[in-house]
Amino acid sequence: MRKKLSEMLLNKSLKDPQFHEQSNAQDIELKKQAISVHYEQNLSTFKAIYSVPANIDVKIREFTVRSTNRHAFIIFLSSISDQRVIQAGITEKLIVNDIPNKSIPDLCTGTFFSTETIIGKILESINSGNTALFVDGDEQCYLFDTANIQGRAIGKPDVEVIVKGPKESFNEKVVTNISLIRKKLKNENLIVESMIISKRSKNDVFLVYQKDLVNEELLQNVKAKLHSLDVESIVDLSILEQYIEERPRSLYPTTLYTERPDRAASFIEEGHIILLMENSPSSLILPTNFWALIHSPEDHYLRTPYGNFIRILRLLAVFIAMFTSSFYIAVTNFHVGMLPPDLLMAIAGTRERVPFPALFEVLMMEIAFELIREAGLRVPSPIGPTIGIVGALILGQAAVQANIISPIVIIVIALSGLSSFIISDTSMNFAVRITRFLFIFSAGFIGIYGASALLVVGLFYLVSLESFGTPYFAPMTPRFPSSKDMIIRHIPIKERFRPGYLKPKDMGKQGKG
Amino acid sequence: MKQHEKVGIRDYTSIVILMMGTKATENTPSAFYNDVQSAAWMIPLISAGFFLIPLFLLLKTFSVFQGKDLFVVVKKLLGKYIGFFVLLYLFIISSLAVSFDTRMYSDIIHSFYFRRTPLVVVYIIFLLVCVYGAKKGIQHIGSVSYIMVWYIIFSFVLAMILSIMDSNIRSIYPILGSGIPDIIKSSIPGTTLFADLVLLTVLLSSMSSFKDFAKGTWIAFILTAIHISAAAFIFICLFDRSLGGLGYPFHTAIRYFSFGNFLTNVETLFFPIWLMAAFIRFAALLYICTKLFAHIFHIKEAGYLIPALATIYLLTGMIPETPLDVALVFKAKIRLIAGPTFAAISLLLWTVALLKGEFNYAKHKKGM
Repeated sequence: MRKKLSEMLLNKSLKDPQFHEQSNAQDIELKKQAISVHYEQNLSTFKAIYSVPANIDVKIREFTVRSTNRHAFIIFLSSISDQRVIQAGITEKLIVNDIPNKSIPDLCTGTFFSTETIIGKILESINSGNTALFVDGDEQCYLFDTANIQGRAIGKPDVEVIVKGPKESFNEKVVTNISLIRKKLKNENLIVESMIISKRSKNDVFLVYQKDLVNEELLQNVKAKLHSLDVESIVDLSILEQYIEERPRSLYPTTLYTERPDRAASFIEEGHIILLMENSPSSLILPTNFWALIHSPEDHYLRTPYGNFIRILRLLAVFIAMFTSSFYIAVTNFHVGMLPPDLLMAIAGTRERVPFPALFEVLMMEIAFELIREAGLRVPSPIGPTIGIVGALILGQAAVQANIISPIVIIVIALSGLSSFIISDTSMNFAVRITRFLFIFSAGFIGIYGASALLVVGLFYLVSLESFGTPYFAPMTPRFPSSKDMIIRHIPIKERFRPGYLKPKDMGKQGKG
Repeated sequence: MKQHEKVGIRDYTSIVILMMGTKATENTPSAFYNDVQSAAWMIPLISAGFFLIPLFLLLKTFSVFQGKDLFVVVKKLLGKYIGFFVLLYLFIISSLAVSFDTRMYSDIIHSFYFRRTPLVVVYIIFLLVCVYGAKKGIQHIGSVSYIMVWYIIFSFVLAMILSIMDSNIRSIYPILGSGIPDIIKSSIPGTTLFADLVLLTVLLSSMSSFKDFAKGTWIAFILTAIHISAAAFIFICLFDRSLGGLGYPFHTAIRYFSFGNFLTNVETLFFPIWLMAAFIRFAALLYICTKLFAHIFHIKEAGYLIPALATIYLLTGMIPETPLDVALVFKAKIRLIAGPTFAAISLLLWTVALLKGEFNYAKHKKGM
């Protein structure tokens, strides 16, 4: 009996869920057909497809072409197309012009796009802001480039802030983004390839690369990955990132997400591939490695000693952010002997009246810090400052006075929290912050031994990560020829090679005419 | 775009340095001291001298079979049956060495840092990390060792410099310790320090080239010989006669010295770095042992073998009752036989290759 029951349950859970879906086979069939020669039939077909007049921003204008005296109509989406261009370039010319027997492309001054016969293709074109012109008796329809999609202007980067260097950032219009890159790389070998990756929303992704640099195998690899996606809609680059990553569950990122066109351009110059998408104020750099993720563009804009200074500072910050809390726990719980007696007394003195174990105390404060941080990010800006005051005052001062937290823990958390802000890459930043918790637990479990064990395991894990076939710690290990731009960088004149792990078609950066 | 399946010379050399260099931090120096007193520092050098010829001949033999690993060479030279026993012998000896060595390292961690933690817990964590590393494969072990090797060397040199500050050069006399015959006699089992080099030929098929392998082996061989000798020398100067009674002189030393007047107990700073070296060393050894085992018994899914072997090592490693048993009974026996027999195996391989005319054949092939 029990067997039967469990079998029944198992069978039920194994079956795919059944949905009552409506078949859209008819629509799909329709989209494959060619348009009709008859004016009336086309008009009714497109009215039906666009649900006119329920759909308010679909505009259809019927008129007579004066020169040939034939009926015609144009159809466009008024919200994403420029109506002045349509008026001046298409309708006015066709209605007013009376030179007999001229062809449509000769009559219209609007930017001519193409002619098309398949309904599905025409719909795609209209949906991206173009205008379609149907003339009675013509087998094809005329498409005009009239897209005018609204968006914000080029702004300053918000996340990757720098002091010295360009201050433009990508915005939501991909055309602007491409032009920002073209502005920096004036080269005919810069290729912008577009590819439709989703089935329903038809989201475009743009691959930007230098034809004479990028490794062919890498390019094919990326394209194959993009082609293999089988999804209805990918609305943003940050979601695409998760689709194409090799290990989406990994704590450490394997793609570089940047909002700076100058950074994207410099990576293209080295033979990387950049992905751009409509509606994403950023670019995705493939492949990437550990070093690119902890670098900041400012490292290169500053003079070499200053650039290296902030790099070393950043590396130090990574260590402080990861290990201070766990080191504190390990030392106070397991290796008390290593502290000088005076310091030990000082710590013990502050902890005298705190009822909690050190691990709990640190965890509590770390979580409080993360809470303040997250709340500060989400809070509407008018009440933003309140969060800082509440956080600093209540959680810092009052917690100490109430003997819940010892002052030394506040110092430890403040130090590690502050340091965690230094890594500008959002994903890496999260990775470091989460890793910190793992170290806290391991140090709480078995002191320095646990932390070292976790560090070695972590290193083994990190070196085994790959980003599109590129090892995470390349070119340090496994070694590849490169400009050695890793922990520190050399002066620009000594940076003579492109990174070897990309196998670019051209390794040398200098001395070529 | 798989482009990194081979181990490069840097990664390989750092693995070898970590594998052999860590021997200076266990009981080796004090074992030598018990044998020959103040001449203990000479043993690594003289043993290196003894091992020079077998190593040279071993590399010469392998150079004929460009890029082929130990398995292929043994099978080709010694045949299926004798080859099987030779490999089995290598596996058993190295397995015992790994299991008693890991036990010894757990003993060190247990007795110096975690007195109240049960030894088994320390031991299990130790092996877990090694298993994880070994499962990642030799390329990744190489990468991690290259990342860490500079810090490890730096911290070791720092420890040595700090030890020198408290040491007394006069402890080194009498310079010949208990006499030349004793030194020679102890130097023969002393070759065990370099026995790992024979095992490392297992990795040849995953190396970028034979040239890298040979070069890396020589660099690591010379460096570690000097390194262990220097360590023994400094420990003698630091501890004098009490070195004989110390189990693990390195750990006593890092407890002994201080970093100026403020930081008096710095062992917790050296401990994690030493630990990392140990983890990498045993991850590599575990990987090699698994490879040997998988080859001897024709097991294809070697990945699952690693945890299984580690469990067996844990069980055999727990047999000795006390740390003293590990050091003086179990490990001492391995130390006595591993080096000489491994050297004998390399000599055997070379002799067979010579008799079979492999060298002539290779020369002939080159001439064509």
